[in-house]
Amino acid sequence: MTHPPCNLYSIVIIWLCTALCACHTNPQSGNSPTADTTIFPVPRQESGNTLSLLDKSPLDILYYPPEYPKLKMIGKTASLPVFRVIYSRPQKNGRKIFGSVVKYGEHWRLGANEATEIEFFEPVTIQQTKVPQGRYALYCIPQPTEWTLIFSSDLYSWGLVIDAAKDIFKFTVPTIRVINAIEAFTMETEKSEDGALLWIGWDDTKVALPIQLLSNKNQ
Amino acid sequence: MKKIKKTLAVAIGLMLMLFAGAQENWPPLDNSPMDMIYLPVDYPILKIRKSAPETPVIKIIYSRPQKKKRTVFGELVDYGSVWRLGANEATELDLFKDVKIANTKIRKGRYTLYAIPYKEKWTIIINKENDVWGAFAYDEKKDILRTDVKTEKNAEPVESFTMMFEKTGTGANLLITWEDVKVSLPVTL
Repeated sequence: MTHPPCNLYSIVIIWLCTALCACHTNPQSGNSPTADTTIFPVPRQESGNTLSLLDKSPLDILYYPPEYPKLKMIGKTASLPVFRVIYSRPQKNGRKIFGSVVKYGEHWRLGANEATEIEFFEPVTIQQTKVPQGRYALYCIPQPTEWTLIFSSDLYSWGLVIDAAKDIFKFTVPTIRVINAIEAFTMETEKSEDGALLWIGWDDTKVALPIQLLSNKNQ
Repeated sequence: MKKIKKTLAVAIGLMLMLFAGAQENWPPLDNSPMDMIYLPVDYPILKIRKSAPETPVIKIIYSRPQKKKRTVFGELVDYGSVWRLGANEATELDLFKDVKIANTKIRKGRYTLYAIPYKEKWTIIINKENDVWGAFAYDEKKDILRTDVKTEKNAEPVESFTMMFEKTGTGANLLITWEDVKVSLPVTL
């Protein structure tokens, strides 16, 4: 068996790079009317649903350390988690999300339904800012190249209405293009060198918020 | 030629880092989705309508498995064993103020809810070990309340495990139902 000549490799590789670049520079277009963000909720008690149906954008929870409840179950941790996020997971369903369903420059609840909640069980540092332990509502103002993630004291609210007077911290992070579209809006945590990354991804975009731990709890 | 290959390899590496980053294994939606309920009912919606009190009283976060033609009680969920009242992470009870549950004062704070189902009654358990998976590491020593509630029959079987609050004169009942069984846990404010 003979290997193809080197320049064939080069052609394939250059073609690949070009293809990827083409994806990357795809213009962010689309201005169809919003779907998810304009539906006003009907309270369950008023909708006549005595036994509420399963939600189309189900709630989910994630922890740092990742899979904390399972680590606890198998006796791998005795201390409290560092943080957790409770959020709802809408799906792409063939729609273009950013710049369309989720508008650039407008607040977005980072999910669906109730406002997303992040709770720190110990103080952490994010972008040189000390964030005290406690619960915050978490929302976002997305732009094509960066997202501003906002921690707010406006807790236990429905995510459509944001009271900007209750903003506490704002962190801006660059967007990263995703090759394979993410169908369900997803958050996840990952260990980093000096703490944790909170990953947030949907459709063709993802961001990571680096969170530095003060404690030495990074297993 | 080797040098070109190396340069290209580095370029490809950089491209992959740029486009893929580290995170590609996004977790799928759960078969037993999580849900939450508040007391007052629909507190977050009341809040944006400016008709909510300052703080909620109770928030429960639980997962909702489905019956899917299976026999739930006595088979899928054993009688006499501690059950996480749902699926995945054990059910969480968050009290924003002191309340009375089954006539016992429970202090403001975060707890885990379990149940031991029997045919005629369920034992509802409030436990202070939080952020746990299932009932696998359940520790009876961390219980702060055990109370029995009698089971009632549903006219129609309920497909998805459901919890809801129903207002009463002195507070609310926490209704818990699945299949043809329902129980009601009294909460007094």
